[in-house]
Amino acid sequence: MTKDTKNPPIDRVDGRMKVTGGAKYFAEFEMPNTTYCVIVGSEIAKGAIASLDTKKAAGAPGVLGVFTHQNMPPIPGWDAPVQGNGNGPPPGPPSGGEKYRILHTNKILFYGQPMAMVVADTFERATYAASLVKATYTKQPHQTDLTKNLEKGVTPKGPRFEDYLRGNADAYKSAPVTLEVKYTIPIEVHQPMELHGVLAGWTGDDKVMVYAKTQGVKGTQKSVAEAFKIDPNNVHVHTEFMGGGFGMGLRTWPQEIAVVAIAKKVGRPVKLVITRNQMFSLVGHRPTTVQTINMGADTNGKLVGLSHAATGETATYEDFTEGTVSMTKFMYACPNVSTKYKIVPLDRGVPIWMRGPGEATGAFALESAMDEMATKLKLDPIEFRLRNYTETDPEHNRPYSDKNLKEAYQKGAEAIGWSSRKAEPGSNRDSDWLVGYGMSSGTFNASKGGATARAVLNADGTLLLQCSVTDIGPGTGTAMTMIAHNVLGVPVEKIKVEYGDSALPNSPQQGGSTITSTVGSAVHQVCTSVKKSLIDMATQSGTPLAGIKADDLTVADGFVSADGDSSKKVAIADLLKKANLTTLDKTEESKANGKPDEQKYSMYSFSVHFVQVRVNPSTGVVRVSKAVSVADSGRIISPKTAASQMIGGVAGGIGMALTEEAVIDHRFGRIVNNNLADYHVAVSADVPHTETIVIDKPDPYINPMGAKGMGEIALIGFAAAVANAVFNATGQRIRDLPITPDKLLRTA
Amino acid sequence: MNQFQYMRVTNPKAAVAAVSKDNTTMFLAGGTNLIDLMKRGVEAPEKLVDITRIPLNTIEKTATGLRIGALAKNTAVAEHELVVKNFPLLSMALNAGASPQLRNMATIGGNMMQRTRCSYFYDTALPCNKREPGSGCGAIGGYNRMHAIFGTSTKCIAVHPSDMCIALVALDATVNVSGPKGDRRIPFADFHRLPGDTPQKDNMLQPGELIMSVDLPMNGFAGNSHYLKVRDRASYAFALVSVGVGLKMSGNTIQDVRLAMGGVAHKPWRLTEAEKFLKGKPATEATFKQAAELAMKGAKGHGENDFKLTMAPNSIVEALKTAAKTA
Amino acid sequence: MKDDEINDGSVENPGSSRRGFLKQSSALAALAMTPPAALTAVEKGLDEKLAVAFEQIPLKVEINGAMQQLKIEPRVTLLDLLREQLNLTGTKKGCDYGQCGACTVHVDGQRVNACLTLAMTTDGCKVTTIEGLAEGGPEGKLHPMQEAFIKHDGFQCGYCTPGQIMSAVACIREGHAKNPDEIREYMSGNICRCGAYSNIVDAIMDVKQGGAKV
Ligand SMILES: Cc1cc2nc3c(=O)[nH]c(=O)nc-3n(C[C@H](O)[C@H](O)[C@H](O)COP(=O)(O)OP(=O)(O)OC[C@H]3O[C@@H](n4cnc5c(N)ncnc54)[C@H](O)[C@@H]3O)c2cc1C
Ligand code: SF4
Ligand code: FES
Ligand code: FES
Repeated sequence: MTKDTKNPPIDRVDGRMKVTGGAKYFAEFEMPNTTYCVIVGSEIAKGAIASLDTKKAAGAPGVLGVFTHQNMPPIPGWDAPVQGNGNGPPPGPPSGGEKYRILHTNKILFYGQPMAMVVADTFERATYAASLVKATYTKQPHQTDLTKNLEKGVTPKGPRFEDYLRGNADAYKSAPVTLEVKYTIPIEVHQPMELHGVLAGWTGDDKVMVYAKTQGVKGTQKSVAEAFKIDPNNVHVHTEFMGGGFGMGLRTWPQEIAVVAIAKKVGRPVKLVITRNQMFSLVGHRPTTVQTINMGADTNGKLVGLSHAATGETATYEDFTEGTVSMTKFMYACPNVSTKYKIVPLDRGVPIWMRGPGEATGAFALESAMDEMATKLKLDPIEFRLRNYTETDPEHNRPYSDKNLKEAYQKGAEAIGWSSRKAEPGSNRDSDWLVGYGMSSGTFNASKGGATARAVLNADGTLLLQCSVTDIGPGTGTAMTMIAHNVLGVPVEKIKVEYGDSALPNSPQQGGSTITSTVGSAVHQVCTSVKKSLIDMATQSGTPLAGIKADDLTVADGFVSADGDSSKKVAIADLLKKANLTTLDKTEESKANGKPDEQKYSMYSFSVHFVQVRVNPSTGVVRVSKAVSVADSGRIISPKTAASQMIGGVAGGIGMALTEEAVIDHRFGRIVNNNLADYHVAVSADVPHTETIVIDKPDPYINPMGAKGMGEIALIGFAAAVANAVFNATGQRIRDLPITPDKLLRTA
Repeated sequence: MNQFQYMRVTNPKAAVAAVSKDNTTMFLAGGTNLIDLMKRGVEAPEKLVDITRIPLNTIEKTATGLRIGALAKNTAVAEHELVVKNFPLLSMALNAGASPQLRNMATIGGNMMQRTRCSYFYDTALPCNKREPGSGCGAIGGYNRMHAIFGTSTKCIAVHPSDMCIALVALDATVNVSGPKGDRRIPFADFHRLPGDTPQKDNMLQPGELIMSVDLPMNGFAGNSHYLKVRDRASYAFALVSVGVGLKMSGNTIQDVRLAMGGVAHKPWRLTEAEKFLKGKPATEATFKQAAELAMKGAKGHGENDFKLTMAPNSIVEALKTAAKTA
Repeated sequence: MKDDEINDGSVENPGSSRRGFLKQSSALAALAMTPPAALTAVEKGLDEKLAVAFEQIPLKVEINGAMQQLKIEPRVTLLDLLREQLNLTGTKKGCDYGQCGACTVHVDGQRVNACLTLAMTTDGCKVTTIEGLAEGGPEGKLHPMQEAFIKHDGFQCGYCTPGQIMSAVACIREGHAKNPDEIREYMSGNICRCGAYSNIVDAIMDVKQGGAKV
């Protein structure tokens, strides 16, 4: 692999499938006699079902069954204590109470909790029948408001979440310039365009086919196998295409398991597609989080002390945790740093990691605070960051494997036209609009997990790659193709990738920006191994290449040839024939890098975001008018899909910064704007032309390709860049997201 | 969705006859509001009368102005040459609403008849006097960021969500309806109503009445019209506040003016006091501000929507400035 | 009103199989598509299953050039008809409430949201879905907009993509693709949660400037 050269942009390998409607998502597979399942959710947040009238529903046309806690078929593996969900949360009792089991008792632990699952022969009939199920409740007072329950925060178990201290926690207090600020983010919800659900049908007594919407088919396979106490090999999970996940597919949700159980009971395949409203209560969210940052700096702009405390919500029935305060520990050179992270159990559905998980939450606070401090110090925000730049990781006291953040600041600043920024807030006017510039940085852990890939080289020169990984949109298939092409020289169009099926070789789930590194390494390894075999075969005595060293040979375009003498070559087809092989078929497992704490280097991807905003001071409307994102994430494998991830981060970041907020009416304990007309994700008109820049230098240590992830860093920090730009435009500092017009008018 | 009977009619008489028979029968036009409400269980008609094949989609000149058929699609009206030329305010308001796809489906009559987007109205498990009289108003003391600041009652503080209607009320439109008791004309300003004690009633249409068309009188506002819509995202969102303005200028003097606001009341809100004040005044920011102040008399916030008390007058000034081209 | 006033042809009767039945009925019954006896039974909750036999009514609609003669429940939306009954799953369900545009198809050349369109209302219409956009069918030559989406990587997960493409084609045909800002506004009825907007706008501009017939 020539990791010193940049990769050319290639089209997404599954592009044709996607533009023709040929790509099939879970709900679109045909299973004969499929039935339709609709969930009836609780209308209260806490208490118990007093009565549940299912008679009318059961008698409605086409209905095959109405499943409640009273008649739910048993889920054998769930009768034992829950061991997470294959890829779910840690085992052990939750901080807030008891575990949750779907349709298990009459207890209600959160609004929208499934009380009944109605199955009928058509979607329309199932939906109608579900509307006939009526419940009465014994209500109990619920707690859904984080801000009113902050004192209930507990430190989650596990070393990652322990209070962190470097130096003196109080050092910031005596610094010449101090800052003490509180930031909040609301509940945000993933809302991928594809609705969640599952299609499952039993093909034998202990064999089941599951079309899922999951970021890891192997995880779902394990969850189902454990729940039904069957051999994982009898659970076939397929998710070739997934209409977006952003984290919500990182676990198996209880209703998926319920559908598998119900399918067995009704003896027909069951399809569940939850409604958009239910997407706000049944498949997780980014938790509301309250954060305080205390910062002290000297008059030269050097950080003296920094402390970051975050409290996020979880459910009473499960502990949810994320890396909200991680970035603060290592981003800047600061001798005195302390962090605290707590969770508060609320009567709500459990959160799940959402793009850039806790780091995006934390970066909003840290990078806003950096801007506030720069203002206090009368320093340019980039200059302030540079004065506190660190080439070594202060948390672990070791070098970064690779860090080009300075270059990223500079390139981004140039692209946005940072020199047009006016230091004095509110001083840049364009007719009725105020113009402002803002920037921020982001970072996310880079790692390499273990994965297995199979490569089959055929005599006709085509190559098949297989791995069970799901491609939820980042372009994993395209990256796999590029890596194989780089190793074996097989033309891109002659490479076929198969993924998203549990029958294929092992892969971790798609998430945490690790897949290109992890699966890519497996592909690299197996292709390297194929190449080695070819060269071994080609250099056997009697061939034109006999005696030539492996280093002086190239595999490309169906031939093994000698470098510098293209007349010396052997066709791969001939080599296979001679060896009596129809294919060269290899499967190899690539091992995970060791635990981060045991490494010689700290490995992170970095990003820098720059925006220009326009604010109308009389209406409070904010528009992002320019956006530049720079990624420092090692070698870029597939430039096109990488750029897409970054522009996607910008669109998501604009939503996070300006519009996204799921609002709970705490009197009822439920989200009231539970639909896409009232929960505003960015539309095309909100998103300006986005410039993406990649540093594109290989990381020498992470993996053979030198590539690091970029899915998370595309979003992490972006919201702060917008908030900082709004401040620059108006002089108003908004510390609670989203920055909606009312907030600017209120503080005006 | 419940099962219902579906029928298609091709003339108004049959439509009126079908719907007058009982109160569980409803007209179906573009369906963009009704089908949505049926999916959410807010509406559950037993019979749907598809009126889209009635030839009521023409846009034609009349002796006094323009007549727009009730079944003309929002897009067709917004882009019709006569509308663009003579009533740009209506074009702008229509184009500010919903999405291109929805505007291709939505009809003029349906747009007038669309129901509030109040979250409690849509959620059948929550109290709402409009959906279920007597159950209480969830928005009072709750999530009322989108709600009204004018003409509210203790029973309901919802807003009428239409953009188009703001233009129609400003442009002195008249609604032609046909019902079991014959035809009648309703001035647009009297078409929608305030919630009072009966928020379940959005407007003055009687059971069985079919909207046939809307008449617009000619005016001199075409040159100085503006529709300003302030919303949470740049497009495909309902108004927090919107302002429709038509000015007839003579030099820098305002000869005549039409002013209406959306997102602030249970009905399209015409600003007559402000209009009176502005007539004959110079088009300056100062007079605009005074007009806005007058317009805001009697406004009252309900907590989360207090910001509208600032946003609304500011938006009036902005819209007037743009229409007068002083900006 | 007298019966003959209604039977003057102003009431179209999609339920032709019940024409005889309708003729003998009262005016009100003539308007109905479901026999009243069955309905009454349903209302009284006696036996809802009785109604099933009467619930389906005929629909004739041309989809991607092929005439379809179907019998459906009137409450079936065009979107569910395509996806669940005709296996035309290229058209996506993203919200079911008109809030996302994933279900965008063309009905008689106009882009609409299939999720809020009752299938019955398309009787006699021409429907085009993503599967019918390219002339050569799904295996054949791509439509220029499909090509442009691939070239500009106007998608990630691909779920909103069929709706985006149907909308993009309409956007150009309507004359609303004069510049990027206009495209952004006229493409705002199609949400892309992956956030591919910037590339989608580039793709549409490219097709528009390339002048290919869309
Ligand atoms: C996601 C979304 C966003 C939207 N955003 C906006 C927006 O920003 N601004 C805005 O203004 N609107 C917006 N709308 C609303 C849209 O404009 C209305 O749904 C549409 O105008 C209704 O017209 P229709 O023909 O589809 O009515 P239908 O849904 O067919 O009917 C609505 C009601 O009117 C009755 N009705 C229809 N025609 C007649 C008639 N001729 N006589 C008597 N009664 C009749 C029906 O019986 C029904 O009760 C949005 C809608 C959605 C779904
Ligand atoms: S404001 Fe009106 S529509 Fe909303 S909850 Fe109150 S009564 Fe219902
Ligand atoms: S599915 Fe039709 S608009 Fe979302
Ligand atoms: S490509 Fe995933 S939603 Fe648009």
